[in-house]
Amino acid sequence: VEAKRESRPARGAPQNPLLAMSIMSYNGAAIIAMVGKNCVAIASDLRFGINQQQTTAVDMKKIHKIHDHLYVGLSGLATDQMTLAQKFKFRHNLYKLREGRNMKPETFAHVVSNVLYEKRFGPYYAEPVVAGLDPVTGEPFITGMDLIGAMAPTTNFVVCGNNEESLFGVCESMYKENLEPEELFEVIAQCLLAGVNRDCLSGWGGVVHVISKDKLITRTLKGRMD
Amino acid sequence: RSSTHIRAQGRVDAPQASSTMARRYDSHTTTFSPEGRLYQVEYAMEAISHAGAAVGVRTDHGVVLAAEKKILSKLLETGTSSEKMHKLDDHLGVAVAGINSDANILINSARLTAQRYLMTYQEPVPMEQLVQTLCDQKQGYTQYGGLRPFGVSFLFGGWDKNCGFQLYQSDPSGNYAGWMATAIGANATAAQAILKTEYKEGMTLLEAKQLATKVLKQTMDSTKLEAEKVEMSEVGWVNAETKENVEYRVLQTKELTALCDEANAEAEAKAAAGKK
Repeated sequence: VEAKRESRPARGAPQNPLLAMSIMSYNGAAIIAMVGKNCVAIASDLRFGINQQQTTAVDMKKIHKIHDHLYVGLSGLATDQMTLAQKFKFRHNLYKLREGRNMKPETFAHVVSNVLYEKRFGPYYAEPVVAGLDPVTGEPFITGMDLIGAMAPTTNFVVCGNNEESLFGVCESMYKENLEPEELFEVIAQCLLAGVNRDCLSGWGGVVHVISKDKLITRTLKGRMD
Repeated sequence: RSSTHIRAQGRVDAPQASSTMARRYDSHTTTFSPEGRLYQVEYAMEAISHAGAAVGVRTDHGVVLAAEKKILSKLLETGTSSEKMHKLDDHLGVAVAGINSDANILINSARLTAQRYLMTYQEPVPMEQLVQTLCDQKQGYTQYGGLRPFGVSFLFGGWDKNCGFQLYQSDPSGNYAGWMATAIGANATAAQAILKTEYKEGMTLLEAKQLATKVLKQTMDSTKLEAEKVEMSEVGWVNAETKENVEYRVLQTKELTALCDEANAEAEAKAAAGKK
């Protein structure tokens, strides 16, 4: 009886002490977006874990297509990332019906920021990365955001996920400007794999999309399956 | 007695003295007439009978919607928006007959309904559900609020997983029905009569387009059908063999011209044969 009492947590204490750490690390994710020559690439890992310790799926989609030249990747709490992806699809569908054209990446990024900020004091626990090409000019655009919508557009790369520091480091060393689509694929794939290898919450393979004006390259990466 | 009745209600009667009993029951949409009619709803349908015709034909391979454009002017900027045809979702389109501004409100509402369904169920909204929701909205304007009904009739063409390709018609009263082929707007009864005789089961999508063009030609005022006066849209398989995806598509001028020329030629041949 004594032993049983010890193993049960006291009433009022959180059932799972790990939750107290960070809701953003509950599921696990790693996402990178990079700008190349007239193309953008976006890559993510495929792990879906629960409670930080358990891996439940290894084919979890974190990058969602909005239209042919616009993709959004979401890290953080999986339920929020799924719901947000559906919300963004909703918004874009209506935009397309009313305006008769696809959204520009910058416009979409502002929509994402807006949706997130609406929940300023009870936020979605997801951090997005937007990557796309202007539907008319084909100019590349990427941006990252925090969970309440603060945008950080850059001209080189953005990362988000559990192991951001590693991802930043590896991208910083390997990134070069004006890479062609195939080269960009190599760089972003290697960066992703290197970045997730030392992180237990992300990994189990990866998926990369390289978006050019007339072509889309989508490939699945095989990495360390742990 | 009747005048005091009106004064007590505080209504301002119509300026011209009217003899028919009906006039007293006109002003309020939410009031039945003694004969059990809703005059405002009927007047709305009257408005629609002056609008450009729209024809719909349903086949097992797709649904065709064709319409007569009423606003024709060289000065009009065509752009991407259409006068009669509107997309509600990837698998659904409507043809409008009636007051276009009223239609725009309902179309926007329908688009929102479709997206909300998609958001909740992560699958495209079944056609009848969408038609029903829209018609419930139309019905509300015949029963509550004292607002006038929407002066629009719709032809919905689309596809869903459960019932395949479907064609629905709705009117200002909020009634709707599923059809194999139907028409709304000007000369709708004449168009319906032609459809009744000419419609066949098992038509291909092309035959349906040809039928719709023919019916339009016969109900429009002009003798020769021109592509600029007509709008046509279809909901059909993107790839007829794989049958993976349906798509709503507005027909391009080239295809329209071909259909119109064909209809014109057929009519001329018939007239020539008739003369002999």
